[in-house]
Amino acid sequence: MPVMNKEGERMRKFKNKGKNVDVLRRQRVEVTVQLRKAKKDEQILKRRSISISVRDQSVSPGEDKTHEVIPLSLERIAEAVNGSNTNLQLQATQATRKILSRQKDPPINQIIELGIIPRLVEFLTRADNAALQFEAAWALTNIASGTSDHTKAVVEAEAIPAFISLLTSPHMHISEQSVWALGNIAGDGPLYRDALINCGVIPPLLALVSPVTPVGFLRNITWTLSNLCRNKNPYPPLNAMKKMLPVFICLIEHEDKEIISDSCWAISYLTDGSNDRIQIVVDTGILPRLVELMGRPELIIMTPALRAVGNIVTGTDEQTQAAIDAGVLAVLPRILQHTKPSIQKEAAWALSNIAAGPSQQIQQLITCGLLPPLVELLDKGDFKAQKEAVWAVANFTTGGTEEQVVELVRSGVLKPLLNLLLAKDSKIILIILDTISNLFLTAEKLGETERLCLLVEELDGLEKIEALQTHDNNMVYRAALNIIEKYFSGEENTDLQPGTGQDGLYDFSVEKQDFNF
Amino acid sequence: MELSDANLQTLTEYLKKTLDPDPAIRRPAEKFLESVEGSQNYPLLLLTLLEKSQENVIKVCASVTFKNYIKRNWRIVEDEPNKICEADRIAIKANIVPLMLSSPEQIQKQLSDAISIIGREDFPQKWPDLLTEMVNRFQSGDFHVINGVLRTAHSLFKRYRHEFKSNELWTEIKLVLDAFALPLTNLFKATIELCSTHANDASALKVLFSSLILIAKLFYSLNFQDLPEFFEDNMETWMTNFHTLLTLDNKLLQTDDEEEAGLLELLKSQICDNAALYAQKYDEEFQPYLPRFVTAIWNLLVTTGQEVKYDLLVSNAIQFLASVCERPHYKHLFEDQNTLTSICEKVIVPNMEFRAADEEAFEDNSEEYIRRDLEGSDIDTRRRAACDLVRGLCKFFEGPVTGIFSGYVNSMLQEYAKNPSVNWKHKDAAIYLVTSLASKAQTQKHGITQANELVNLTEFFVNHIQPDLKSASVNEFPVLKADGIKYIMIFRNQVPKEQLLVSIPLLINHLQAESIVVHTYAAHALERLFTMRGTNNTTLITAAEMAPFVEVLLTNLFKALTLPGSSENEYIMKAIMRSFSLLQESIIPYIPSVITQLTQKLLAVSKNPSKPHFNHYMFESICLSIRITCKANPDAVGSFEEALFMVFTEILQNDVQEFIPYVFQVMSLLLEMHKNEIPRSYMALFPHLLQPVLWERTGNIPPLVRLLQAYLERGANTIASAAADKIPGLLGVFQKLIASKANDHQGFYLLNSIIEHMPPESVDQYRKQIFILLFQRLQNSKTTKFIKSFLVFINLYCIKYGALALQEIFDSIQPKMFGMVLEKIIIPEIQKVSGQVEKKICAVGITKILTECPPMMDTEYTKLWTPLLQALIGLFELPEDDTIPDEEHFIDIEDTPGYQTAFSQLAFAGKKEHDPVGQMVNNPRIHLAQSLHKLSTACPGRVPSMLSTSLNAEALQYLQGYLQAASVTLL
Repeated sequence: MPVMNKEGERMRKFKNKGKNVDVLRRQRVEVTVQLRKAKKDEQILKRRSISISVRDQSVSPGEDKTHEVIPLSLERIAEAVNGSNTNLQLQATQATRKILSRQKDPPINQIIELGIIPRLVEFLTRADNAALQFEAAWALTNIASGTSDHTKAVVEAEAIPAFISLLTSPHMHISEQSVWALGNIAGDGPLYRDALINCGVIPPLLALVSPVTPVGFLRNITWTLSNLCRNKNPYPPLNAMKKMLPVFICLIEHEDKEIISDSCWAISYLTDGSNDRIQIVVDTGILPRLVELMGRPELIIMTPALRAVGNIVTGTDEQTQAAIDAGVLAVLPRILQHTKPSIQKEAAWALSNIAAGPSQQIQQLITCGLLPPLVELLDKGDFKAQKEAVWAVANFTTGGTEEQVVELVRSGVLKPLLNLLLAKDSKIILIILDTISNLFLTAEKLGETERLCLLVEELDGLEKIEALQTHDNNMVYRAALNIIEKYFSGEENTDLQPGTGQDGLYDFSVEKQDFNF
Repeated sequence: MELSDANLQTLTEYLKKTLDPDPAIRRPAEKFLESVEGSQNYPLLLLTLLEKSQENVIKVCASVTFKNYIKRNWRIVEDEPNKICEADRIAIKANIVPLMLSSPEQIQKQLSDAISIIGREDFPQKWPDLLTEMVNRFQSGDFHVINGVLRTAHSLFKRYRHEFKSNELWTEIKLVLDAFALPLTNLFKATIELCSTHANDASALKVLFSSLILIAKLFYSLNFQDLPEFFEDNMETWMTNFHTLLTLDNKLLQTDDEEEAGLLELLKSQICDNAALYAQKYDEEFQPYLPRFVTAIWNLLVTTGQEVKYDLLVSNAIQFLASVCERPHYKHLFEDQNTLTSICEKVIVPNMEFRAADEEAFEDNSEEYIRRDLEGSDIDTRRRAACDLVRGLCKFFEGPVTGIFSGYVNSMLQEYAKNPSVNWKHKDAAIYLVTSLASKAQTQKHGITQANELVNLTEFFVNHIQPDLKSASVNEFPVLKADGIKYIMIFRNQVPKEQLLVSIPLLINHLQAESIVVHTYAAHALERLFTMRGTNNTTLITAAEMAPFVEVLLTNLFKALTLPGSSENEYIMKAIMRSFSLLQESIIPYIPSVITQLTQKLLAVSKNPSKPHFNHYMFESICLSIRITCKANPDAVGSFEEALFMVFTEILQNDVQEFIPYVFQVMSLLLEMHKNEIPRSYMALFPHLLQPVLWERTGNIPPLVRLLQAYLERGANTIASAAADKIPGLLGVFQKLIASKANDHQGFYLLNSIIEHMPPESVDQYRKQIFILLFQRLQNSKTTKFIKSFLVFINLYCIKYGALALQEIFDSIQPKMFGMVLEKIIIPEIQKVSGQVEKKICAVGITKILTECPPMMDTEYTKLWTPLLQALIGLFELPEDDTIPDEEHFIDIEDTPGYQTAFSQLAFAGKKEHDPVGQMVNNPRIHLAQSLHKLSTACPGRVPSMLSTSLNAEALQYLQGYLQAASVTLL
């Protein structure tokens, strides 16, 4: 989930208008602490292969072909697996796989406690017995699909090299099951991901991709590859990334939605990092396709594509410009109005990062008609999206030219912005107050301070700012106080003057300056 | 200190003494306690006493002392010694929770506060078992204990409502959630169940409802930063129960008190807040529950009475509806005509009614009433909430809502017409309804700026407002009078001018009303009307149109100041000021009487200045009297001095701090009115103005500098001849000011006046010192503001004394100084100078350096000649450089004087802009061209060659433009 922990830095930048604007771009940074439920629209990290249908006899893994297995007790399973009777081994392994494949509450822990995992791993090497290999692979896949401890149990039994060798198995269903198992291991986190990469998982995996690979298999491969791109701290090694990227460029052109989706997820992971990583992706020329996919109606495609593009515009001005050139600004207005709040938010986040660019990019943002949907979102969007929209406005007022800021105010941004001063979020309130200060700085340069004061008051902003002078957060209260003192006290000075200027008697301009402490 | 009985005894005695009313006994005891609080075991002794002392008073005293001790000492400040030894810290943390929970309420509160102070520092890392300890108590079943825990938890967690998100904060919240959320939820459910089993036991219910209130508050704190997973999963439990509680009523919980909110109201009010939090921040997840809450809250509003105790609940509930009805996806909840009618009828109209409490405030607490009604400090009132709901509904349903209300307005007006003296409140409500319906945007300065076009404001004004104000008795139905006047005031931009003109005599008449609200409103309305703008930047209402009313206006205004309760009424005083400023010379005939009344008022209030706004407008009015009169008759200044100086002397002698800055400003104004040499009366005061004590107060500095400048303008020669011994003192003031980053510009104002006006020989001996001082400041702590003022000053000096003199004095301080200043300060920084006059001074000064300073042509300084010229052209042509170095960003903020000081500047004592260059140079660009021409004739060939070698092309082009405009060529 994107978060903004560069805020401290950003706030400092507000005070130094015009300098080093690119720091305003906020990267997607993993928070260590999360209060919310894990996001539902994230890509799945690990998958268990469940026996669903009794009748389906297809060869694809994960579906039960031989359902006529006598249920065995756990003790009997352990006994058989550890024994030397190949038939019993197969039966017991199959029984294990079946238990682990049941719809609800698979007893993974109990299976681990039986201590049979090393044996199951051993079975993977039994090239003479494809059925046993397959059943063991399936069982291990499902164990690895559990918690980190579960995955660990599989990895520590040396399953990685065994599965990698099975990628080249002559039996497609075994090879496919191995892809799946490796995907679960890779999905556990950066440690195992890199362990896999170091064991050379990538070349045989990529070799499986060909024009004749069945779609179902290709989906599995894409998903596993995407898990190999996933996670930070550390990022996946650069050379691994470079090896996989050309394949994703092909896969993303596939017609299958899941393959497209997982390729987009992979790209979103690869772009979720430093600017040089973003650059490698931008250099492939994939941006136009991503922007196109971002506009697709299917959520599973739009979500990761939008994320990837969102990540790219956190990059340098040039990288952001590449996204603009690929047409991102033409697609964003529609997405900003998407019914799903998380999409709104993601789109607004991207917009906020484009607004953090130089004034030419801000100009393109205006030209492409982004202001009306931005204002709309600020007014009526979901709160998460409203927060991002506030950032967008804040960045806009920091980097925009005077004319651009005037345009922003003309588009009606002030009313919803001021309304959000009632938001129950101190940070957002502070950013709005800073934005208001930015607007006043522009107004001062244009000699329009008084008009802005009136506008703010008319829109009930003044009383909201006044009320914030008693806010419990120190920084908020000081920011509010500053605005009030600077622009809304001493009404007398700006009030009507009699006989203005005729004999110079009532010319107060110099006086005001004299008292400018 | 040992944990011994002897020490407990000693401590008991000292604690007792701290309660003694006699300071001779109390103070030493307090001192003693302070002196021993660093000793080990001291806090433990206090804890022992508050638990075990025989005397209750000692227990309470020990608990308060303990809390204050914790407050002062617990926090470990970096680089400062730890003030509580580790063993004591551990012992306190181990004992305080059970101790708090077993103590009677009075002591429990103190200990609970202490726990939250400790918690703020130590929780969670250094106090890991606090949460478990608290949560375990939930099972005790003793609600006295449970409430103690809940209260403590609330004080620990409420900061989640305002702190910025951070990993540290969220880690803490997560920890709290993990340990606390489930037990809290279980407690919530259990408490609700107990409420129904004890539905007939009033005392049990009270305790249980106190718990529920605290639980609801904790819910708010824990859900504030983000929606925690736990609460999302348990939303059904919480929201269903909250919903039930909203609809709950129990006679046993109803209170007889009309003012103070009861437990039921407090709980429901907090639930409204909780629902509003979810509706605003977690709309996606909360959507399924929202319609139920809308209905429940609406029913709540319909069934809640008019008593003051329900105010907070009602305004919270209405605000909830107001915020929801503006959301597009909830529009459908309101759009049915019956729903709208019912909201208008049952929620809005009843809450707009003028209640007994309002009537009381109107009569007995008019200041508060005015503040709420006029200045908008009504955020939490019912009327205000109802008004916000009207505006919220108008976003989507302006037509229907206006239609529904028009019907109500008409019927209320009919009710009123039937029997005004009984039904006047109906008319009040009707006016209020029209006002809230019509006003879409409003400012203090202009009243309503955007109105609902569906309401005919002028018609309502003519038919229903004016008749009330025309009635013979100004004291009848004062509330309606006030409503009517307020209507004029806020709709002044919507009502046509001729109607305003008709209203003016009516308003003047109401200045005589006995009701404070009515005559205050009348004064305020007049003041606002007088500030309205007409065409061509003139006032809408002209002095000519006011001519017939001048006398009665002034008379009534000053009379109003004598009405009971209004002797320092700022609205009236402001109206006086504004009337003067509008009427101008037509007030002159009344000045003798006016100034007498003003000086009397001044004398009276100077005994105890308490109303800063009133005082300010009073001084503004005095300034206006002076200006207007002396403009027509300059000799009148003497009579003002005669009238005012006595009071002024008294103010200065009694050191009435609030007034001194004003007095200086009025004196400056008076002094500047004199055309000739400075009068003797002023000179007598001169030495006193240099008294350091005056300059220590920041508020005095601007007006005093201004006054000294007036002295220098009018009396430089007199000072040089008759007060030469005071010149060092004068320069001392300059030095004091220049030493301060906040006041250095004031120092320069003074210095500029000295250089400009004092005869050169009188300051000769100090000149070098002045520069040394400036250079020191430049070297040690230069700021942009200082450099700007410095540049203006040296150029002014150059104009006055010549460029050669400038170069000589610089180089006499230190060889090559002149070149250094040129190179390091003038050339790079000149672009920062702002202000037309300031820029002109610099342009003329630099021109002199370029063309009238031989060393610039024939020494090593020559290399700076072209860069200096380039900088000067930059000053003419480039935009001002307004960048300020990072580290200076906060100077202004830190050094900004308080509100009082900034406030005391009198607009009508304003100073004329002063241009020391004046007519000497009209166009500095032409002046440069001519001067260059003169220089080139003196040394033919040199100027063009210097230009062609290093002046950049653009600058050269500009320069050629100047030369052409001046019709000169360079030789």
